Amino acid sequence: MKSKLPPQPPIWADKLLSLVCAPHLLESILGDLHEEFDYQVGESGERKARMRYWREALGFLKWRYIKRPKKRYPSTFILSHDMIRNYFTMARRTLAYNKVYSLINVVGLSIGLAAAMLILLYAKDEVSFDQFHANSPNIYRITNKYINPAGKQVGATGNTGYVAGPKFAAGVPEIKAFVRYHGHRNDIKKGEEIKSEEIFRVDSSFFSVFSFPLLSGNPKTALKEPRSVVLSEDMAEKHFGSKDVLGRTILMKDSFDKDARFEPYTVTGVAKKSPQNSSIRFDILIPMIIGQSEIYRATNWFNTFMNTFVLLNPEANLAQVERKMNLVYNADAKEAIKEVAQKYGMKDKKEYSLQPFTDMHLSAELPSDNGLVRHSNPQWSYILTGIALFILAIACINFVNLTVARSLRRAKEIGIRKVVGSGRMQLVIQFLGESFLLCIVSFIFALVLVQLVLPTFNHLADKALALSYLFDINLVLGYLALFLTTGLLAGFYPAIVLSGYDPVKTLYQRLQLSGKNYLHTSLVVLQFTIASFLIIGTLTINSQFNYLINKDLGYNDEHLISVEKPNLTREQAQLLRQELQKDPSIIAVAPKNNGRWNTSVKVNRGADLAFTYETVDPEYLPAIQVPVVRGRNFSTVFPADSTSSVLVNEAFVRQAGWKDPIGQIVDFSYENFKCKVIGVVKDYHYTDLNEKIGPQLFAMRPSNPYGRFFVKIKPGTETSSLRHIAETYTRLFPLNPYTYQFMDDENVKRYESEAKWRQIMLFGTVLTIFISCIGLFGLATLSAQRRSKEVGIRKVMGASVASITRLLTSDFLKLVSSSLVFAFPLAYYAIDKWLQNYPYRIGIDVFIFLEAALLAVAVAFLTVSFQSVRTALTNPVKSLRSE
Amino acid sequence: MKLIDNMNRAYLGEFEEIVLLSTAALDGRAYGVLLMHEIAENTGRPVRLNQIHSALQRLEEKGMIRSNMSEPTPERGGRRKRLYILTAYGEHTLTQVREVRENLWSRIVKPFTLAIDL
Repeated sequence: MKSKLPPQPPIWADKLLSLVCAPHLLESILGDLHEEFDYQVGESGERKARMRYWREALGFLKWRYIKRPKKRYPSTFILSHDMIRNYFTMARRTLAYNKVYSLINVVGLSIGLAAAMLILLYAKDEVSFDQFHANSPNIYRITNKYINPAGKQVGATGNTGYVAGPKFAAGVPEIKAFVRYHGHRNDIKKGEEIKSEEIFRVDSSFFSVFSFPLLSGNPKTALKEPRSVVLSEDMAEKHFGSKDVLGRTILMKDSFDKDARFEPYTVTGVAKKSPQNSSIRFDILIPMIIGQSEIYRATNWFNTFMNTFVLLNPEANLAQVERKMNLVYNADAKEAIKEVAQKYGMKDKKEYSLQPFTDMHLSAELPSDNGLVRHSNPQWSYILTGIALFILAIACINFVNLTVARSLRRAKEIGIRKVVGSGRMQLVIQFLGESFLLCIVSFIFALVLVQLVLPTFNHLADKALALSYLFDINLVLGYLALFLTTGLLAGFYPAIVLSGYDPVKTLYQRLQLSGKNYLHTSLVVLQFTIASFLIIGTLTINSQFNYLINKDLGYNDEHLISVEKPNLTREQAQLLRQELQKDPSIIAVAPKNNGRWNTSVKVNRGADLAFTYETVDPEYLPAIQVPVVRGRNFSTVFPADSTSSVLVNEAFVRQAGWKDPIGQIVDFSYENFKCKVIGVVKDYHYTDLNEKIGPQLFAMRPSNPYGRFFVKIKPGTETSSLRHIAETYTRLFPLNPYTYQFMDDENVKRYESEAKWRQIMLFGTVLTIFISCIGLFGLATLSAQRRSKEVGIRKVMGASVASITRLLTSDFLKLVSSSLVFAFPLAYYAIDKWLQNYPYRIGIDVFIFLEAALLAVAVAFLTVSFQSVRTALTNPVKSLRSE
Repeated sequence: MKLIDNMNRAYLGEFEEIVLLSTAALDGRAYGVLLMHEIAENTGRPVRLNQIHSALQRLEEKGMIRSNMSEPTPERGGRRKRLYILTAYGEHTLTQVREVRENLWSRIVKPFTLAIDL
């Protein structure tokens, strides 16, 4: 038999009314509606009846039916003085009674809060970068973009030459002032000692545009005179041993100019140390004077090598100013643009624009470089924030899990409170208050912790942060917000759950946490997902780092010393080699150009090919042990080598598309100079591994100066060889400062940022695992206590210690294992993305995932098994005696 | 004086009056749906439940009717009805209204005749 249910009125209408209407009216309203519905179904069919039902129901959505009646009894006073005192007593007793849990919570939360505080400090520093200048909203940097004929942007640079600043300032009325800022090196003589120091050549408007206070000297005139110099207080202290040095002289000369002589500069100002959140940090400033040797650069729009800043009128319209700048440029550089297009075949159009001074620090497209320091990658901030939030979240999860799991013990208290008249709101306030109390304690510990780890953090993050920065209204507000959020996050859920207990059940001891606590399990899974994710991330960064520093670079950088010598002439190089090789432990001496030169030539009669241009001599390739794979190396046997022969690397050959590279012609068209390829050099990593090996060309042209030389020494002779090199150098070049580097050390230093990532990730991971584990430990302890009777019975019935341990441990291990299911794909995605940054990278290895899985499970197992074994070993008499 | 008496009388809307009269007529059986059907039948105009409920609420606030809950009824899904009866004040008001009307009717000299006189 099939019986059909009678038609039912729309359930959603009922739900809506039950939600909105006053409870005391609801029964008769719903009753009437239902009765009418029944009647209407009989009268005009179900469909119409439903429609009518909705219409009728919506008619009841009026204030008259929503308004709640006045309560007949006065509600309890929520913030009664005595009760608050009682809450504090209870909180204190509960915390003291459950020392382990309080400790777990406080330790976890303190670490989490400390991490978050550090990140806030870091973020504040990043955001406030360069903001301290009084003119800061109106200072811009002149930048330019290259637009190809198709209208697409193909490049951008923040660097300019000498000409842009003065021309724009003269041609655009909105530009009030300009400052050129050129990082350079000068040799400084102090007694007999010569040292090379970084200096900055700036325009005299420097101190009126930027706010760098002077300890002594007049900021308006300090940089007016050609032979004046402004020192930082540190530099003054270092050079003169005093800060009061106004009017004294210092002997300096250009490090790179071969004709320069030491000249006296008068100290016209001593500046305060540059703030640490400044892109401009200087020790020595001298006025910008364009010397005779550079006169060709003074009007060149296309030679860019430094930064130019402009100060705009506050009312200036940025787009207008940029438009005017380009008008000035196109008018002034008309001839030059044509010439460049002809000579170098440059088809891209150059467009000038302005970048706000405060944007440079975090800009990826136009970074603060070329004398501007401490550029940082915004990705850094994201990763750091992510890790801090992870740690804090895990600590909060611990709090929630432990409080809820432990709440059974407090059930009776809740029951009694309810029976004697506590409202739900009061209980919520009480429990929230407890979590806030714990939070305050953790907060204080966190502050101490931050103070302790700040030096390490500063070192890792390349910052100079101090806790005293805290006295800043925004940061204090930020910390307050952090505190409140943590307190709420950790305390809210437990407060709601605990206050909802039914007093009857709690007092009859019938209350049980429902068998499967999904929230609780999923939170544990979440914790370990984060932990495993971080483990995988750390392992990947670690192996990528090892890969970078251990990868075969294609040349031998061991026992290879690099020494700088500006303007090393061919004769000097010859002499140097002779002198150095008097010591048998010196295997080879190879001069080379300093820095990195990029240029392009025409190959295959027309196509441009850009490459790295190396100036070497025949000994260079053997010295760094790079083989010539085809053709031959330069040789003194062929005198023409120095003028008309070049070597290229394999990448060059590939890019030029040559089948038979030997004998091909490369055309330095801008110099009307053609060379023949005589050999192909095996590719080697001439720069760091963050860059793919590009085309490289080696030449010996006498017109290209050498800037440094490599010395290959025998292993084990470092001390004697270095002494010999230093002696020879100072004897031959008494006017040049001597500095040397070991190439293998230098190559490791290239990966400092990776090394820091590795360390920060490692810290983050260790903390995450630690906090997750103390949480798990707490849960395991609670579960062992709850199941002590069960364990007792099992033991009496003959269960072995091993089987009971397995029983107690397996639950948690299952959770941890399932967290891996979530962590693996997430981690795979993240590390895949990260590794894309590296042209030379490790493959994503299954082994890393296995290692991470093993580590997570092992750590969880160790944490849990301690409690499990202890429970399994207890004498069943103890646990069973109580009944 | 009758005039002063009239001024003392509580204001009663037309719809309220009909609801009050119907409640009296139903003699203790009056509740929302039943009232709605009665009124719709007797006056021929469409009435909605919420109008009845709000009229009943107002009358109860004025003290002209009072209510109590019935036993649970199956046709309302086990819900109880709220049954309304007139209070003495309600009865008094109705009587007054009627007196006023009758008084006025009696003063019409020429009673109306049907428009179409056959």
